[in-house]
Amino acid sequence: MDTSVITDNFDTFTDDALGWISDNGEWLFDFIRMVLEGTYDGILWVLQISPFYVIAALAALLGWRLINLAAGLLTGVALTFCTAMGLWAETMSTLALVATATILALVVGIPIGILAGFVRSFDRALEPVLDLIQTLPPYIYLLPAIALLGYGPATALIATFIVAMPPAIRLTSLGIRMTPREFIELGQASGLTPWQMFTKIRLPFAIPSVMAGINQSLMMAFGMVVIAGIVGSGGLGETIYGAVRTLDIATSINAAIAIVILTMVLDRLTQSAAHRAKAGAR
Amino acid sequence: MNTINNANEVLVDCQNVWKIFGARAPTAIRAVEERGLSKKQILEEFDCVVGVANANLQVRRGEIFCIMGLSGSGKSTLVRLLNRLIEPSLGQITIKGKDIAKLNAAELRDMRARNIGMVFQSVALLPGRTVLENAAFGLEVRGVPRDERYKIARAALEKVGLADWMARYPSELSGGMQQRVGLARALAADPEIILMDEPFSALDPLIRRQLQDEFRQLTKSLGKSSVFITHDLEEAIRIGDRIAIMKDGVIVQVGTAEEIVTQPADDYVSEFVAGISRIHLVKAHSVMLPVAEFQTLQPHCDVEALLKTSPEADIGELIDLTMRSNRDAVAVVENGAMVGIVTTRGLLCGVAGTPARELVAA
Repeated sequence: MDTSVITDNFDTFTDDALGWISDNGEWLFDFIRMVLEGTYDGILWVLQISPFYVIAALAALLGWRLINLAAGLLTGVALTFCTAMGLWAETMSTLALVATATILALVVGIPIGILAGFVRSFDRALEPVLDLIQTLPPYIYLLPAIALLGYGPATALIATFIVAMPPAIRLTSLGIRMTPREFIELGQASGLTPWQMFTKIRLPFAIPSVMAGINQSLMMAFGMVVIAGIVGSGGLGETIYGAVRTLDIATSINAAIAIVILTMVLDRLTQSAAHRAKAGAR
Repeated sequence: MNTINNANEVLVDCQNVWKIFGARAPTAIRAVEERGLSKKQILEEFDCVVGVANANLQVRRGEIFCIMGLSGSGKSTLVRLLNRLIEPSLGQITIKGKDIAKLNAAELRDMRARNIGMVFQSVALLPGRTVLENAAFGLEVRGVPRDERYKIARAALEKVGLADWMARYPSELSGGMQQRVGLARALAADPEIILMDEPFSALDPLIRRQLQDEFRQLTKSLGKSSVFITHDLEEAIRIGDRIAIMKDGVIVQVGTAEEIVTQPADDYVSEFVAGISRIHLVKAHSVMLPVAEFQTLQPHCDVEALLKTSPEADIGELIDLTMRSNRDAVAVVENGAMVGIVTTRGLLCGVAGTPARELVAA
C-alpha cells in the first residue's frame, strides 16, 4: 500500500480542519486578536508617549537601585545609543511586543505552574507537552497563527507567548515542589489551613524559582520576537528581516545591536531582581 | 483536692499504638490485630517496616516526658503520632481526653494551633521574617491581631533571653539563639503540651546544657507539659521527669531516671546506662540496708549516734555526710522513724551500679 495516501489524507485533513476553525471560530480569533493587539497598543502607547530620555533615565534608575551605579549609568548610555542609531521607535515596539507576550505567558504560565506543583499527575502529563513546545522549531508556531490571526503583531504575540510560557510553568512548578520538608511540617504542626500553607510557606520559598522563570520567559520571548519579524510584528525583528531581504548589512547590524542592548538590560534587571528575592528568602 | 487531680491529669494518652510503613501496611495491620505478629514476622511476611510497635504511654499535666532512643528507634515517628502529623495504623491517642483520630481537619488544625506546640531539630525559622515575626507565627495563623500577637511574641522572646534580637533575621543568629526563637514561637501560642523533636541535638555541648536547664526551668515555671525526644540519655536524665527508652519501635522501659539507672529492664537499657554517672541519680532509699540487717552485721554500732539524712538524699550528699562523720555509715530517717542505713559498701555499690537486690544479699 502506498503510504503517501495516508500522509496526503492527513495533510488534507489538517488543512480542512484549519480552514474549518478559521471559518467557524472567526469571532474567537477576532476576540483574541483584539485582546493581544489592545494590550500591545496600550503598552506601546505608554512607551512612545514618553520621550526617550525619560525611558532611558527610568531604566538607569532601576539599574542603579537593583544592581549598582555603574550598571545604572551603562544602562542609560546603552539605551541612548539605540536612539543614536535612529532605532528608538523600533526598539520600543520590540520592548512592547516582548512585554506583552511575556506578561501573557506569565499570567497563564504561573497559575498552570502552581497547579502542576501541587498535582503530580498534571505535572507528569504537562512535561511532554512542554518538551514538545521547546523542541519544535519556533517558526512552526507562526504558520497556524498567521492562518488564524493574519499578518501583524497579533500573530507575533501568540507565537512569542507560546515560546515564552514553558520556562514560567516549569520553574514555578519546581519552586512549589521544592518547599523544604521541615517547613511543610512546621505549617502542619502550627495548624495552617491549606491556603495559609500556600501563601505563608510554599509561595515565599517558590519566589526565587518563579523569578528565575520570569527571566527565562523574557529571554525566550526576545529570541522569538526577532523571528516573528517575518509575519509583520513591527519593531527590530521586522527591521532585521527587511534589511536581510535588501542586503542592507549596516541596518541589520544596527538593529541587532539594539536587540542585544535591550535583551541585556532586561536580563540584568530581572536577574538581579531574582537574586534579591533569593536573598530575601534565605 | 482539685489541684491534686489537675497534677495527675493525663494530657497525652497512647494506647497500643502501632505505625506500620509499606505498600501492604493495611494487610499487615490486620495480621497484627488477628495474629499478634512480631516486627520481624511483619517484615518477612508483608515487607512492611514497623515504625512504632504497641506503644503505651501517658503524659501528665506539668510533666516533662523524655523519649530516648537511637536513630531508627521510632522516637520521631512516635512524637509525630501525638499531633497526627503521622496517622497511627492502630491504637488510640487521646489529647486532653479527646481521641485525635476522630477530629476533622478544622478541629485538628485548631488543636495543633492551640493545644500542642512543636519545636524541631531543624528549627525551621522562616528566613524572610524577623525574629519577632517568626515568634508571632503561630498567633498570626490563628488570626490574632498584629499588635496583640507582637506583644505576646515579645514577652515570649524576653523569656528566652532574646529581647535585643527581635528585629534581626534568623540568618543573623547563632544556632543556639535560633533554637531559642523556635522555643519562643512554640511558647507564644501558649499550648499546654510542647513536643520537642531533638531540639538541641545540633548544638555544641556547652550551649546544649545551658538550653536544657533553661528549658526545664521555663517549662516548669509556666506549668507546661512536654514530650521531649532525644538520642542522648544524659539529656533525658537532665530534663525528664520520666523517661521512655525506645528500641526498634518498641518502648522497652518507662520510668524516672533513677529507676532506669538502678533497675534497667533489659540488657539494652543496662548497656545504655552503664556510662551514666550515678552520683546525682541514685538516692539513699535504693542503696540503704534495713536497720535490722545492719544491726546483725555490725552489732556494736550505735545506730542512734549516726548522722541522719532523708531517703531522697543522693549519693553525692551521702558521700559528703560519710566524710564528715567518723563512722562509715549514715542513717536514713523518714517522718522521724529510721528506715535504713547506708554503709560505705552500699555507697560503693550505688556508684558502681550494682543492683539493689545484690546489695541486700551482701
